[in-house]
Amino acid sequence: MVCRRLLVTNNPQLCPVVRSCVFVEGTTLDVLLRVRDHVHLGWRLLTHPLYGNLRPHQHLYRSILLERQEGSVDLESLDYMESALRIYTAESRRIMSADGIPEEHREDFAFVDYELIKESLLQYGMVTADGALPSGGRR
Amino acid sequence: MPISLKGGKERTMKLELHRVKISKLAWGDATSAKDGVLTVNKEELLSVLAGDERLTKVDVDFAQPGESVRILPVKDVVEPRFKLEGAGGVFPGMLSDVETVGEGKTLVLSGAAVVTTGKIVRFQEGIIDMSGPGAEYTPYSATCNVVVILENAKGIDKHEYETACRMAGLKAAAYLAEKCAGAKVDAVETYESLSLKDMPAPPTLPKVAYLYMLQSQGLLHDTYLYGVDVKKILPTYLNPTEVMDGAIVSGNCVSACDKNNTYVHQNNPVIANMFKRHGVDFNFIGCIVTNENVTLLDKRRSSSYAVKLARTLGVDGLLISEEGFGNPDADLIMNCWKAERAGIKTTLLTDEYAGQDGASQSLADSCVEGDACVTAGNANEVIVLPPMDKVIGEPEEANVIAGGWQGSLAADGTITVELQAILGSTSELGYTKLGAYTI
Repeated sequence: MVCRRLLVTNNPQLCPVVRSCVFVEGTTLDVLLRVRDHVHLGWRLLTHPLYGNLRPHQHLYRSILLERQEGSVDLESLDYMESALRIYTAESRRIMSADGIPEEHREDFAFVDYELIKESLLQYGMVTADGALPSGGRR
Repeated sequence: MPISLKGGKERTMKLELHRVKISKLAWGDATSAKDGVLTVNKEELLSVLAGDERLTKVDVDFAQPGESVRILPVKDVVEPRFKLEGAGGVFPGMLSDVETVGEGKTLVLSGAAVVTTGKIVRFQEGIIDMSGPGAEYTPYSATCNVVVILENAKGIDKHEYETACRMAGLKAAAYLAEKCAGAKVDAVETYESLSLKDMPAPPTLPKVAYLYMLQSQGLLHDTYLYGVDVKKILPTYLNPTEVMDGAIVSGNCVSACDKNNTYVHQNNPVIANMFKRHGVDFNFIGCIVTNENVTLLDKRRSSSYAVKLARTLGVDGLLISEEGFGNPDADLIMNCWKAERAGIKTTLLTDEYAGQDGASQSLADSCVEGDACVTAGNANEVIVLPPMDKVIGEPEEANVIAGGWQGSLAADGTITVELQAILGSTSELGYTKLGAYTI
């Protein structure tokens, strides 16, 4: 089956409940690079690549929603991705890794990432069903 | 002297703020205000906050200006207000019914604040120091703070905990002000605004509106307008006096430095100063409130709609204030260039994340039309906060708070953080102690 919409994420809580998901083993910067590659392959952004309130070194997970489009590369999406990558790479030495972060804090980060993408997932029919959403963002 | 957007009397919305000045807090048998002292009956206040099964512990403490006291993690700050006359009640859609507010008389306990503290989303709460260098960066070191300490019941979701904390803050603020309804009023401010039919006056001045951007990224990052989740709205028109009665309530657990907590909405300095300059430099047409959603579709929709409203109102200029940073920068920039290309001049009000050395890109987005911008400062500046005699809350949260890092809290209680962790330090409504002045 060819999927029309795709979630790219490194948040382990999300893939099990999303219809179409690419799980990235890595950091938030790795997620952005994978999304940038997808944009070059003809996908366009449905959600903005930056968080609303946290700098690149202040979060562990990132989730971005894409849609396959017809025709050439979507330049607006590419522009947003290159701009986001400039911000992340400028702080690449401080990008967070899950290693050494207590489970409780990792859960907080995963929860917030989930909360911030949840509305968009519902809007684009990407979650299997309301009942399948993890309670409070946790499974 | 009334601050007035004068016009046809029958259509005028007039709000009087009856200010009772508070400079000290005290515990006592009856909650009341007299001679600058707000006396609080602790037992009665706790009984007002009791009964919420989402909370296992509710306590109240004081933090007053100049004391060696630190509060963290801070969730929200609310100014005690109570409707003396006029339709509706404070915080409509939240605490009161949904009747439109912004007219009549509202009691304000000026100088007092309710501060809520609790560990909701741990890295997204703030710090208030009541003295020392940190106090210079937060406006809430100058308020007499009634601190409401809230612990969640085991097993409840974070958003339920956030709702419980939000409601506790609003209830405490309304209770304190209501109990002081008979107190001697120190000052009365009158704000009058008129219907669009009577605008503009005088006709020779440019017409300027305020585009008021509200955080609406998702649960725990939301703002409420008359109780409605702002991410669900299309941009809409708001009379400025409605904001003074609590029509906008913060539900945010976001970066402390530039989240617009409820207090700063109630006291929005952009609105206050646009009233002052009305009829002198421009005609203040009113507020357009808009959201900052996550999807690009929503960003495009809201920015186009907000600018359409501005064009319909016939404005010549827009002052646009942002909340937060990162992807809301895209909303700010879309609002800017869409307005400019529609022939409307814009001025942007934001803050910066330029790195600890100030050398990084300040905003995530930009456009050539954005050539007038006011900044509230660089949130990444590092500050050392010396130990305080007393900490209300959880000092170890300094290690996980946004703007802090593992090791921010030293053994002696010293905290080293970026300004991002200090509540209101770079307020994008300009409600901050940082500033540049022409001398």
